[in-house]
Amino acid sequence: MIAFLGGALASFGFFFLPVIEIKPNRLASGLPVGLLEIPGDLRYLLLFLLALTPVMLAFMSDRNRRGWALVTVGNLIIILTLYLPALAGNAYLIGAEALFEAGTRISNPRILSSAAIAVGLAGGGIVLFAGLLDLERSGASRLVRGLAGAVGALVVVLMLAGGTLDVYSIMVEYHSRGETLALRFLEHIVFVLVALVAGLIVGIALGLWASRDAKAEDAILYTVGIIQTIPSLALFGILLVPLARLGDSHFLSMARDWLLLAAIALAAALVLRRLHARLPERARQFALIAVFILALIPLSLLAVLIIAFGFEVVLTVLTTAELASMRSVTFLALVLFPVFVWAGKRFDLERMLPHFQRVHFLPLLVAVLGALILLAQGAGKLLGNSELAELTIRDFGVSGIGTAPAIIALTLYSLLPLVRNTYAGLKNIDPAIIDSGKGMGFTAAQSFFRIELPLAFPVIMAGVRNAAISLVGIAAVASIIGAGALGDFILLGVNSTSIDQILLGAVPAVLLAVIMDAGLKLLEGLLTSPGIRQA
Amino acid sequence: MIEFKDVIKEYPNGFRAVDNLNLTVHDGEICVLIGPSGCGKTTALRMVNRLIDVTRGEILIDGQPNDEFEPEILRRQIGYAIQQIGLLPHMTIRDNVAIVPRLLDWDEDRIRQRVDLLLDMVGIDPSIHGDKYPRQLSGGQQQRVGVARALGADPPLMLMDEPFGAVDPITRAILQEEFLQIQQEVSKTIIFVTHDIDEAIYMGDRIALLRAGRLVQYDSPDDLLAKPRDDFVREFVGADRSLKRLHLISVKDSMINNVPRCAQGASLDELAQCMDEHRANNVFIIDENSGKLLGWAERSAVESGAAPEEVINYAPTSIAVAEDATAREALSVLLSHSFDLTPVIDANGILTGGVSIQRLQDLVEAPGIHAAAQRERGQ
Repeated sequence: MIAFLGGALASFGFFFLPVIEIKPNRLASGLPVGLLEIPGDLRYLLLFLLALTPVMLAFMSDRNRRGWALVTVGNLIIILTLYLPALAGNAYLIGAEALFEAGTRISNPRILSSAAIAVGLAGGGIVLFAGLLDLERSGASRLVRGLAGAVGALVVVLMLAGGTLDVYSIMVEYHSRGETLALRFLEHIVFVLVALVAGLIVGIALGLWASRDAKAEDAILYTVGIIQTIPSLALFGILLVPLARLGDSHFLSMARDWLLLAAIALAAALVLRRLHARLPERARQFALIAVFILALIPLSLLAVLIIAFGFEVVLTVLTTAELASMRSVTFLALVLFPVFVWAGKRFDLERMLPHFQRVHFLPLLVAVLGALILLAQGAGKLLGNSELAELTIRDFGVSGIGTAPAIIALTLYSLLPLVRNTYAGLKNIDPAIIDSGKGMGFTAAQSFFRIELPLAFPVIMAGVRNAAISLVGIAAVASIIGAGALGDFILLGVNSTSIDQILLGAVPAVLLAVIMDAGLKLLEGLLTSPGIRQA
Repeated sequence: MIEFKDVIKEYPNGFRAVDNLNLTVHDGEICVLIGPSGCGKTTALRMVNRLIDVTRGEILIDGQPNDEFEPEILRRQIGYAIQQIGLLPHMTIRDNVAIVPRLLDWDEDRIRQRVDLLLDMVGIDPSIHGDKYPRQLSGGQQQRVGVARALGADPPLMLMDEPFGAVDPITRAILQEEFLQIQQEVSKTIIFVTHDIDEAIYMGDRIALLRAGRLVQYDSPDDLLAKPRDDFVREFVGADRSLKRLHLISVKDSMINNVPRCAQGASLDELAQCMDEHRANNVFIIDENSGKLLGWAERSAVESGAAPEEVINYAPTSIAVAEDATAREALSVLLSHSFDLTPVIDANGILTGGVSIQRLQDLVEAPGIHAAAQRERGQ
């Protein structure tokens, strides 16, 4: 029945819809050609007849044979739907001048794949799927089914690589912009990954906080929910002004201001620590919140710097464009690497964690970490090319447009699924399990890392996948503020009504989303204990 | 040894969960905390390993106040088993049992040996179930693993909060019996919380009955049943406390040795004379050489004048109880036959004595006999 549908769909498309449009150049509108309009060759008629065969195969009774027949036909439909129009298209292009009115500009003439190809691929896919379903029911092994299903896709990839399909307009675009595409694709990946990692750190922390503290619970969950409802364009716009301001300021004065803020926060924390026992309950809570906010300002400033600079570092390493940046990266690595190695050996994170819960520790951590990183960054930049006094924050990659607001906005958008899933995952753990862990002598940190995190892991990972996919989409919008990435092609395409360019940006983005989802799912499967895996 | 000294747990709203508790648990003893729900028994238990903080007073472990240790360090020295078991679902059975040894940084070889030993001890075959995950085990098996895990690092003290509460009654009885056998080997000092008086009587060396945070009575199971301090205790241990006491008394402790018996092949006259001497209405027939119980004869049959061979009924096992059975089992045999006396046999089937209704009645009414008998045997 499914096969019947697929065959009918494909043959309907081949009969009524144009398979290709012939375009003299990128912008002019095309000349639609139907499959059966292509003159002089019976092969195209055969494709139409082939698409009709599943309609008859659907009534075969031997399930195994029917399965193999459908798989074969489905694969053939997919391959030929792409191959035959390309063949015809080449023939058309040779005599392209004759097809168009005199005076039409002919440059890079191309074949635009048209409706029938989409319908044909969908129909072929459905037939293939029906065949695989039959094979599964008649007991074929997973490997056999996988191979049978992949044949068509494999041949298409080979054709792509071999240049057989170069006649299609999207391939024409690809060939003229391949290098930029690779760079934009890379940018897109790095955007998503950096935002995802930053979101993960903040999101897990907030989720943990929400699950532990009934008072903060609603505030946190509502806030991340509201962030999600701000249109992405608006969020980019909102970030524009303060980040531009920040970018303009000089590094030295900025560092001075920052140190001042950090010092105030630290001082306030120390004072509070002294007074803590003497304050009445209400005042204690109020003071606690005040210190927290004081510490949050330098912390978020620092986070912006670190994330923006981190992005620059990653991208520089990946694309090795600028010598000066390379030097600062090397310097940063030289300074920070031994520090991390030393810290890694010196401190057991599980033992350290309880200290993080104490309020005075936060500003101190911010101060030390911030001073260290800014020092290294500044030194790296100076080694590169600039005078210290002329150094602005923009040199660190922070400005109103470009990567900094993009990364920040993306990070904010990733928070909702991450916070909500972390929260839900932690809340759903049976309290008896945590109690038994505590009763056996787990410290709070051990309990978190060895019990709660592993148990909440599948739920958190579902949030990560959710976030990753939506980030791939939102990252495309970021090119509006000059952040680059695959959105560049889409934006250009929209401006010049060039479907090929839009597809050139959109297809890799879709592929990226699919691959990331599959990869994360695989990771989830590998890292989830078999004891809690869904059966 | 665990001592509660004037321990009070008071919550900010003024509610006293535990009110002035004084209690001493001696080494190697099972102390059962029991009482109606909300009586503070679980709170008292959780204060020992500082899952709950004491408001006033102190808890001494081997003479040392328990708040002198870091809570985590303290807890690793004390076995902990709870009703919900709380096995970590993402770890294998072996890893679950190895939790505390790992926290204590034992080396892996030692841990592996210890884990397999413990799993064997609780009746879980490590080679079959060791690498499974908790959800693949039945409730009863999980409870066993829970006990093995509490014994993980061989702690001298154990806290057990209704550890057999989550399984059906039959499995629970088996687990209780097996645990007592394990306890004979390992001899831990145990605080055991339950709300089931039968479990308390069966498991406890001493029972502390709590009500509204206060200790009402702290006694051996036998004394608790025999000498309830007030109406609350009497009501709590139940109207059938006499029957419960019988559960505590073994046949060996309650039997009399002097029973009417004759060797196989005795004449009718000899049988009648034996019954007269004991003022009994039946006589037991034993093998002359081995002393094994073979059967019995009734007065009515003997006096009817039939041949000796027709007078004797040969069915020794259906009428006899074993020495290590409880007095309650003896009672049920007595009730199902018309004997004055039910014969008692040892593991080899040799007649060693008998138990009469009258004797059981005396035992139940006279307080402390069982305890005295136990002390004599040095238990």
